[in-house]
Amino acid sequence: MDVTTVIAVISCAIVFYGWLVLPHSATVKPVVVSDLVSEERKPVSVSA
Amino acid sequence: MKIDSGDTAWVLASAALVMLMTPALGFFYGGLVRRKNVLSTIMHSFFILCLISVQWVLWGYSLAFGPDKFHLIGGLEWIGLNNVGFTPNADYAPTIPHQAYMVFQMMFAVITPALISGAFAERQRFKAFVLFSLLWATFVYDPIAHWVWGAGGWLHNLGALDFAGGTVVHISSGVSALVAALVLGRRLGFGKEKVEPHDATMTILGACLLWFGWFGFNAGSAVAAGTLATSAFVVTNTATAMAALTWMTVSWWHKRQPSVLGAAAGAVAGLVAITPASGFVNVMGAIVIGFGAGVFCYLAIQLRERIHVDDALDVWAVHGIGGTWGALATGLFATIAINSTAANGFFYGNPKQVLIQLAAIGAAWGWAGVGTYVILKVVNLFVPLRVQEDEELLGLDISQHGEPAYAL
Repeated sequence: MDVTTVIAVISCAIVFYGWLVLPHSATVKPVVVSDLVSEERKPVSVSA
Repeated sequence: MKIDSGDTAWVLASAALVMLMTPALGFFYGGLVRRKNVLSTIMHSFFILCLISVQWVLWGYSLAFGPDKFHLIGGLEWIGLNNVGFTPNADYAPTIPHQAYMVFQMMFAVITPALISGAFAERQRFKAFVLFSLLWATFVYDPIAHWVWGAGGWLHNLGALDFAGGTVVHISSGVSALVAALVLGRRLGFGKEKVEPHDATMTILGACLLWFGWFGFNAGSAVAAGTLATSAFVVTNTATAMAALTWMTVSWWHKRQPSVLGAAAGAVAGLVAITPASGFVNVMGAIVIGFGAGVFCYLAIQLRERIHVDDALDVWAVHGIGGTWGALATGLFATIAINSTAANGFFYGNPKQVLIQLAAIGAAWGWAGVGTYVILKVVNLFVPLRVQEDEELLGLDISQHGEPAYAL
């Protein structure tokens, strides 16, 4: 096995191991769209 | 020289695939902006497709690929496609008509300034954008393309490896994006109000179309339908998938949830990073390049946020850093087992290739950075770069184009 293959295997192992151990914090509160979208301002007149 | 019908068909099909990437980029960017700016953002990409298509046949191709002048720029002998006909050009693609190669390269010249538009989204005046794009393509893109890909270009002669444009396309656009973001300044309310993508599904669709088109970008750069194109196709897909997986995992670790938009951004970062290496590395090299792209580009976004630079759609982090990593990784993982006409990289016994790659990276960063700054300042003398505050608040769709994106 050459060095490139060794690094590739280690890279894959890190990612796959991450999926096993990473905690998942579910969002349980519904997201309100108006809280997210910011263009609900009053339109203003546009200069020429 | 005899024209090969298979090679010609593949390069023409690849040109069409790369053409699709620019409107795909428009949708990728369009989904990430607020709904009041979506049309203007898509228009940036669509307009550039038209603008550079004309610029390229008039003088762009001649400057980039024309007969060499001082190893810095192509001459004007091919202006208006003069002397660019159907006879193959031995320097660039000996088995296809010269015009097929020209139109394939045109699509690269088209998408590169379109990439920059993500940095100044939601605040640049359209007229300033038009002038900037034309000047940037002529004075930044065309010279760098000649240095790296033109027969006689100084980086080409030095032995720099850039199969499909990590230096020419992605470093140049990414660094220019950073400079543009700094010169234009932040959007109104940046850092104070939350700016969310208005349509994540549009962005995912754009990313998928980019991925599709990128097979033409990388595998088409073999300019022949054969083993090298096949290898480039396979490593492109592999690195892209690995980068998407890595980015998603890093964002999961950082934000406690696997981000969908993060997976899409990671895929694009992987596509960027494998671009310079796609004709020189094997599948294992592609996995490492994809992994690095997912990590480094994600970290670059965190840095960009920390220093409060409003590169609106993270062009510098994804293209500048992704392109830099890809160009450097080419010097690490290139092997003549894949491309016997190239060179080995560091891990295959040729550490000197890393230094050559660093020279190319430095040259692209320097020329793109300084060139973009000068062009923006010159444009600003004639047309203000930014829209006025009330125009920005109203949104660029209405203020610049007089059209809303949605009648909902």
